[in-house]
Amino acid sequence: MSVRASQGDGRAGTTGARPGALGFLTDTTLCIGCKACEVACKQWNQLPMDDFGFTGYSYDNTGDLGATTWRHVAFIERVSDREGRRPTRLKAFQSNWLMLSDVCKHCVYAGCLEACPTGAIIRTEFDTVVIQQDICNGCGYCVPACPFGVPALSLTDGKAHKCTLCYDRLKDGLEPACAKACPTDSIQFGPVEQLMERAKRRVADLHAQGVTEAYIYGDREVGGTGGIEGLNAFFILTAPPEVYNLPAQPELPQRKVLPAFLSTAAAALGLGLAALLSLRR
Amino acid sequence: MSMGYQRRWETRRQAGGSAADEARDSYYGLPAIHKPHWKWSIVLYFFLGGISGASYVVATLARLFGGPELRPVARAGRYLSFLTVIPAPLLLIYDLGRPERFHHMLRILKLRSPMSLGAWGLLAFSLFSGLSALTQAAHDGLIGRRGPARLLRATPDRLVGLLGSGPAFFLSGYTGVLLAATAVPLWTKNFLLLGPLFLSSALSNAVTALYLLLAATRQAGSHALERLERLDRLALLAELALLLGLRANSGPVIGRPLDAGRLGQAFRGVLGAGVVAPLLLQALARRRHGAIAQALRLLAGLLVLTGGFLLRCVIVFAGHRSADDPHATFELARKR
Repeated sequence: MSVRASQGDGRAGTTGARPGALGFLTDTTLCIGCKACEVACKQWNQLPMDDFGFTGYSYDNTGDLGATTWRHVAFIERVSDREGRRPTRLKAFQSNWLMLSDVCKHCVYAGCLEACPTGAIIRTEFDTVVIQQDICNGCGYCVPACPFGVPALSLTDGKAHKCTLCYDRLKDGLEPACAKACPTDSIQFGPVEQLMERAKRRVADLHAQGVTEAYIYGDREVGGTGGIEGLNAFFILTAPPEVYNLPAQPELPQRKVLPAFLSTAAAALGLGLAALLSLRR
Repeated sequence: MSMGYQRRWETRRQAGGSAADEARDSYYGLPAIHKPHWKWSIVLYFFLGGISGASYVVATLARLFGGPELRPVARAGRYLSFLTVIPAPLLLIYDLGRPERFHHMLRILKLRSPMSLGAWGLLAFSLFSGLSALTQAAHDGLIGRRGPARLLRATPDRLVGLLGSGPAFFLSGYTGVLLAATAVPLWTKNFLLLGPLFLSSALSNAVTALYLLLAATRQAGSHALERLERLDRLALLAELALLLGLRANSGPVIGRPLDAGRLGQAFRGVLGAGVVAPLLLQALARRRHGAIAQALRLLAGLLVLTGGFLLRCVIVFAGHRSADDPHATFELARKR
């Protein structure tokens, strides 16, 4: 991972965020897995409880982000690594217990926003991505259009839901509920440019302290790739993205629209010609 | 009590593995993206919309270049197009989470959203399809002789058909682009193939439906039917090539749903029974005469239509399966 962070095409540690954009820095090396963010989010946004069951996936009984879960803490207990080494032989960092509070990434170019056919999904004055509940008609196209699996349709009201980055709190000059509640400042809120500077300093510190695996997920090199151009909510990770259920090099799905339409038009011409030749007198 | 929450994943161990094993290459094997909720109504819409658009194009070309022999084809094509486009918006509205807000689709036009384009395209095409069907009905004397019927008979039906053929082909093919512009691995990996595949399948379905209709009602002569069968052959060959290309392009990980389980069987069924078998049956029928040839062609036609519906089922549900497979998502988005 140290390779990834220090790789030199100049895109590591850079974000395509627009000036003045607000976002999250979620530093997983500070997360203690208390789930205060999940609770604070549910409380503030009045989200109903989930149908909890026991998963056996460490302390994660939530599973993933959904219509009623806008912060989700992932837990990974590393019992052994790929080579079969037990934790007693691994580096004693965070007891080999990884935790990440996942959230909507509020992409600089967002797949859900591009896909939305009603204009319900908008980019706000804070450069965040919000689903307007009075517009959404529950077509569900934003759901598979998100390369991170964030929006979901609610079975209760039939509409799509996801993190709003506490749009109402931002309007009143407050920070989002999850960042406010986080007891270790694993979740930090602020202007994306400042957060990115802070993240780079933090990764450098971690490297100096021997945690050479630490890197930023959500800059233009990892996560904010393929036309997404950066994530307004980004992360400091210490394992490959896949371990946290994050894609390494996701793409903006709408990059496929024009070429796909061109190939379809070419096929239409070909088939139309075939039809003309077959049917003519 | 249910709180409107549905478990979107299963806590199922892979054989012999522990949770810790699964946590090394993925997050306990849980899906990395959300699959769409699209079910039978969308599959049926893809099928009927495809037939509607393609039969409109066939009708237009038959009217423009087919001569008097193909007049029945043009007539049947216009009626079939209109009849199959009527349920299309109903199926789409039924699928919405908030059906009473269907008109929100027409608040904006967004060129980067195939669904937005599709809503407008469907609206435009249904106007053309309706106008052409009404004109045909006026010529056939189905809506009287005077008043609006007279006006309709005066409309330039060939020009209308030509103008409507753009939206018609759009309706048959855009659904492939709609699937391609998502994060679903199987769909987006085949972004260049899905549109052409849906288009060629729509054409073969429409031609087959017209063939069966005209043969059953004895409306068209044998020359017209021969020409339709020739076109059907070309469309089926294109579909065959695209299906094989789709499987090859998907690769071992992303293409797994096309191999494994009942979806794999269905995919092979589409290839074998829905495309190859009809081609063989038609070839066989050309060497026979009378009742046997008729029976072979009838069987081929039914297989093509069943295969066309099954194709859309397989593509949609195999896409769901690939969205549920985190390894497919990571394969698509791995660092290169």
